[in-house]
Amino acid sequence: MTDESSSHPNTLVDHWVAPGDVVLDLTNMANQTLKLGGGLRQECDAIIVTKAGRFKFSKPNKYWVESSQKRYVPCVEDTVLGIVVDSKADNFLVDIKGPTLGFLPVLAFEGGTRRNVPKFEIGTVLYLRVVKANTGMNPELSCTDATGKASEFGPIKDGYMFESSTGLARLLLSRPTCPVLDALGKKLSFEIAVGLNGRVWVNASSPSTVILVANAIMSAEFLSGAQQRILVEKLLQRVQ
Amino acid sequence: MASYFRRKKITFWPCGFRISGDTIVLAAVYGPKAGSKKNESPEKASIEVLWKPKSGQIGKAEREYEMILTRTLQSIFLSTIHPNTTTSVIIQVMHDDGALLPCAINAACAALVDAGIPLKSLAVAICCGITESGSIILDPTKQEEQEMPAFAYLVFPNSSLAVLPGTPPLIEGEPVEHGIITSVTHGAMSVDDYFDCLDRGRVASAKLSEFLRKNLAQSQIPNHSSKAS
Repeated sequence: MTDESSSHPNTLVDHWVAPGDVVLDLTNMANQTLKLGGGLRQECDAIIVTKAGRFKFSKPNKYWVESSQKRYVPCVEDTVLGIVVDSKADNFLVDIKGPTLGFLPVLAFEGGTRRNVPKFEIGTVLYLRVVKANTGMNPELSCTDATGKASEFGPIKDGYMFESSTGLARLLLSRPTCPVLDALGKKLSFEIAVGLNGRVWVNASSPSTVILVANAIMSAEFLSGAQQRILVEKLLQRVQ
Repeated sequence: MASYFRRKKITFWPCGFRISGDTIVLAAVYGPKAGSKKNESPEKASIEVLWKPKSGQIGKAEREYEMILTRTLQSIFLSTIHPNTTTSVIIQVMHDDGALLPCAINAACAALVDAGIPLKSLAVAICCGITESGSIILDPTKQEEQEMPAFAYLVFPNSSLAVLPGTPPLIEGEPVEHGIITSVTHGAMSVDDYFDCLDRGRVASAKLSEFLRKNLAQSQIPNHSSKAS
């Protein structure tokens, strides 16, 4: 399978790549700084793919492999939806769908001191930010943004939370607004929180709206923009 | 209470290029889960395989399959990325019509890719058998396997795309995909016959790896070209 230059593409950007593919050769790029994202690994002078997916490039120097999985690998500065599993003296143990549980320090809240430590029951849903995510260690989480303000982080009440793949979560958070959310937002009013770890929370005034929104989002993952709008129209017609 | 066991996609891998080939194996990947097994070093990720036969109790043959599969997957698995975790691969045999182990290896590899577990390359498995008349056939059915004097299961790494010719570097003059990951032989065959099997197996595995690449690409989500926020 070693064809000569005719089968070697000049660049694999936006191609689908499999583990083991060599995507960059560093011998020609001596003086540049490259930023490698997920799914890539450096071996001597070549950059090799470890996860299957689409190879992406963003100027000036960022490369990564985009793929959608049901499990989540914690990354710094991601916003995630976690479920409290246990509480210890210094931190809460929170499940964020990663390989290990995350630690949420008891003081990581706006105006948090030892005197007003919040009490979360097991099973509480929290909207969190990942502060530290090193391999081999439990990720550290926080309920404040980088400046220390609460800004929407913290416990979430009512509503309905369901799981999705990480690709769908990224699609829902992308700009411009995802077509399915756009179409639903024009006719219904609801609240939504999306965690990059593959969890979505929806709340609305009536349970039927919540179910409709949840079903629309779950079905829209593999559809194109136009198909998503048609799906939403059909669902709304059935309700009204 | 959140469940700790996150289930990955289950993949069907029907085996056999021939229309009569219908060995079917189901592979499921769970993990990485926190904590490593007792005898494994906590400084690297470990992989465990559970083999479930179609019927009957679990015996020595199943343990042997598990061991072969564990060793094969360990060679393509990047164990330094998530230390102190365990990834479980569960193989369920749905129908056995010959070449069972290669089918299971292909299914397990596809399931690992689908789950996003970091891998060094893909593993592509093939079964080559030598009939009594001396000809070599690939992917024999169960009946042919029982009648053949010898056969071999061979696992190769997949052929990889490269941006420039010459990368990845040739190892001792041969491309990386000619290296062999696993070889399990049954029966007695001559050395020349074994090398013939290897050559045929390499050609077949190149085709299998094209097929694998095409199918995995199609099963991913369509390319939504949106700016990351």
